[in-house]
Formats: sequence, structure tokens, C-alpha cells
Amino acid sequence: MTNEPVILTHALTKSYGAAEAVRGLNLSVGRNRITAFLGRNGAGKSTSIKMLLGMIRPTAGSGTVLGKQVTNPDENRDLRKRIAYVAEDKPLYGYMTVEQTIRFASAFYTDWRRDLEKSLLRDYDLPLQRKVKTLSKGMRTKLALLLAFARRPDLLILDEPSEGLDPVGIEHLLQALVAQSAEGVSVFFSSHQIAEVERIADDVCIIEKGRLVVDASLDQLRQFYRRIDLVFPSSVAQREFDIAGVERIQTSGNEMSVFASKNAEGVIQRAQELKAISVEVAPVGLREIFLETVKEN
Amino acid sequence: MLWYKAWLETRSRFLTCAATLTLFSGIFVHHAQGLLRPEWKSDFNRLLFINQQFLVIMWVLSVVLLGMGGIIREQAIGTSSLTLALPVSRRRLLGVRIGTGVLEAFVLALVPWVAVFFVSSLGRRPVSITQVASYVLLLVGGGLVYFALAILVSSLVSGEYTAPALAFGIVLLAAILFDAGLRQLNVWRLVTGDFSIDRTTYLLSAHLPWLGILSSLSAAALMLLASTIVLQRRDF
Repeated sequence: MTNEPVILTHALTKSYGAAEAVRGLNLSVGRNRITAFLGRNGAGKSTSIKMLLGMIRPTAGSGTVLGKQVTNPDENRDLRKRIAYVAEDKPLYGYMTVEQTIRFASAFYTDWRRDLEKSLLRDYDLPLQRKVKTLSKGMRTKLALLLAFARRPDLLILDEPSEGLDPVGIEHLLQALVAQSAEGVSVFFSSHQIAEVERIADDVCIIEKGRLVVDASLDQLRQFYRRIDLVFPSSVAQREFDIAGVERIQTSGNEMSVFASKNAEGVIQRAQELKAISVEVAPVGLREIFLETVKEN
Repeated sequence: MLWYKAWLETRSRFLTCAATLTLFSGIFVHHAQGLLRPEWKSDFNRLLFINQQFLVIMWVLSVVLLGMGGIIREQAIGTSSLTLALPVSRRRLLGVRIGTGVLEAFVLALVPWVAVFFVSSLGRRPVSITQVASYVLLLVGGGLVYFALAILVSSLVSGEYTAPALAFGIVLLAAILFDAGLRQLNVWRLVTGDFSIDRTTYLLSAHLPWLGILSSLSAAALMLLASTIVLQRRDF
């Protein structure tokens, strides 16, 4: 097994007329990692995922998934054999029963595992003979997840997987993702639930207005992102902190709050040069990083 | 499994159409032959010809309905990302849908005429197998172009009602326009047997309009090819 990324894109772009849904996306998703893909509604998450799966043709750029070109229909078909995908709206055929849906999906994949299927059916308590159209939203989500988790693919791509699940279901989902990862499955998932991401993700990518604005490990984010609150004897111009790593500055009279993605030491040193009365450095959580990043952009 | 999916998607439409066409043909021929005198041989053949006129109307409606659906419709109802995530090409997805539709269209042409064959045999006016085969061949060979048109329309239009409405509109318009200006190219008349019927005996000629059938099948193939190209280029 190589260490080459399971997903690698270069300047991947999708335009609809003048509107650019995804702009020059350079994404690198590591093997055997759990990578979270964050972004606001309409930021380009689903479009990016659909380009990876060959559902949408990129306007420009290129990309590989598991070493196969996403824009080549034959290679894309081959790579889909090794990917389990759960789409945002958990699509299922309403006219099939739960059992028919499972039989249908399992027929396409050689990595389908009957033992996992039976175990998940027990855990999820799904009624085999019920038509999918009569299932509740939570049940449908569970069935969609079963179709992905009853396999051992090389890569699991999930678009907002926890939507529609109750807290118990979400807990099961997170445990299942960690278990999949422990068995060597690379996981790439989009989510709006920052708390979930903080619990299980190794890496975090944040996309805003179609552009990748953060791509780092969660450890790196925790290590380098800081909020530095400063108080000066008199007001200080924001341009004084125009230094590497400073992402956003808020001033209120003599007080200044600096949000830095790195180089907190440089900010502190600058503050001391400017005779700051008070310097307080605090680590920031993923929620704040996300909110500040999208606000910045 | 794709065949199974295609069958599940179309079976209610198919079975309803098959039952309607078969019951109509059987009852029509059974009832009408009771009004004929035994010596009116050509009138019985004429009855079969009239049956074909009605069958064509219902068969074309049926195959247009069977041609509806597909991945564009799935996009509208939200299941296209499940289908397109499967490790199969779009060409194969469409191919299976076409294959299922063609088989169903063939059965829809065959079963009503088989019913007519048995009903007429029971009424002691057995219709020849050659005549039955010719009518079925005209329906399928000439009429598949209507199914192909439905596939093409459903590859372009996603609306549950707009797609069949547009397809039926084109069928009707084509029949009217060709009848007014290019009668010899009117597929509707080809399928009903208008071009091959002997107006004295009301038997279909032994020489079927092969050129017309071939042209119609070629047009159908072109429409299906266009549908494939549209589907392969489309974003979902």
C-alpha cells in the first residue's frame, strides 16, 4: 500500500455560466485518514464530491481518486467499485423494499460482507419487507448508511451523513466511521456538525465560495490557531499587525482581538513592541476557526 | 440487477397496458365477429385490420409511457446520485432501460394478437398465423420509433407530466404533418398496415414494406444514439 493521497485534485473548477461553484480546488486527502470537508451551504462541497464521482464534469482542472482520473468515464466507473458513497439527501428507490434495496446494491460490489449486513440490520432494526417509501427519514438514513457500511471499500465518501439521525444514531455513525478507519478505510465526509468533526476527524478541509481555504490536520489547527486579545495604552492601527499568520483583526478602542492561523509568537512580539498593557493568548476550537475563516472570506 | 430495477420501475405501467390491450382486442374481436355472417370472409379480415388501427393507438400510447422515466427523471425525484454512484457506465444504464422497454413493447404487440388468434379460433374463424405475425411485425418494426422518441424526450425533459405530454404532442403532430404532405413517409400508416393491406381481401400483403420498416428502425436507432450522447454529456 502506498502513501499517495486517495483524493488528489489540481485546480478543479466547475462553472455554471458566470457563476463558479468550485474554484481551482487543490485537495489532497490522505490514505487511512478521516478527513472532514466543511463549508457553508452552497460553498461547493457537494459539487466537489460529485465531480470526484463523475456525476458532474469539471469545467477545468483535473483530479484522481484512488489513482484513477475522475474525468475519464471508464476509470471513474472502475474507481466507483472501490468507493462507498452516501449522498446528501440519502437517495433510495421508494418502490423497492428494504430487502430488495440491499440485494440490489450488494450485487454490484465484490467487497460486500454478509456478516456486516446482518449485524447492521440488527443494530438499525430495519424492517426487511417494508417499502422504502414508507420508511421514516431516520430509517432511510440508516438504510443508506447500511449500504455503505456493509462493505469494506478503499474509500468512504459521505455527504452530511448524520443529517436525519437522532443522537443515538449519530453516536452509532461516529463509532462506525472510526471502526471503518481502524480497518484501513479512508473516510472523507462533509458535515455541518463541528462537534462531530472534532471528535473523529484527523484532517479538516474548509471550502468557502468554491475555494479551499483551510487544509490541515486537526492537531495542526489546535496547535497553531490562536486568539490573542490585546490591550494598548492608546489605539493602534490594524496595519501594525499586517504580519504572516494573522487572519482577522477586530478593534474596539484600545482593545484588539487578533485571530491567527500561525505565528502567534510573532503577534505577541509585535504587541510587546507596541507596548501592549495586556496580552492574552487562547487556543481556539474548530467552531471558531470555521466561523472566522468563512467570515474572513 | 439493473434489469430487475428497470422491471420494477416499469412493471405496473407494463402490466396495466398489457391487460388493457389484450382485453380490448379479445373483446372487440369476439363481439364484432358475432355480428358477422360466416360467408363474409373479407369482412372478418377487415375487422382484424380495424382492430390493428385501435391497437396502434393504444400500443403507441403504451410504449411512450414505457419510455418515460430514466436518470433525468431520477434527478428530479432525487435518486440519480444513488444510480450514478453504481459502478456502471451511463451507456449501460440507458442500454438496460432500452432493452427492457423493447422487450415489453414486443410483448405488448404480441399478446393482444395472440388473444385475437385464440378468440377467433374459438369462434371458428381462425386467423392465419402469418397475418398475426405480419401485424405484430408492423407494430414492433415500424412502431419502435415511437418508443425511441419517448426515450429521447425523457433524456431531455424531466417533468413527470411535461415529458409524456411533449412526446404525445410530437407523435400527433408528426402523424398530421406527414399525412398532409408526405403520406408515404407517415410511420403511423406504416404501423397500421395501411401501406400493405389488400383493399379487396383485407389481408396483409406477403410483401411487407421492408424499406419502410428499416427506415423506421434506423430513425429509432438514431434517436437512441442521440439519447446516449445527451446522457453522457449531462451533469447530475
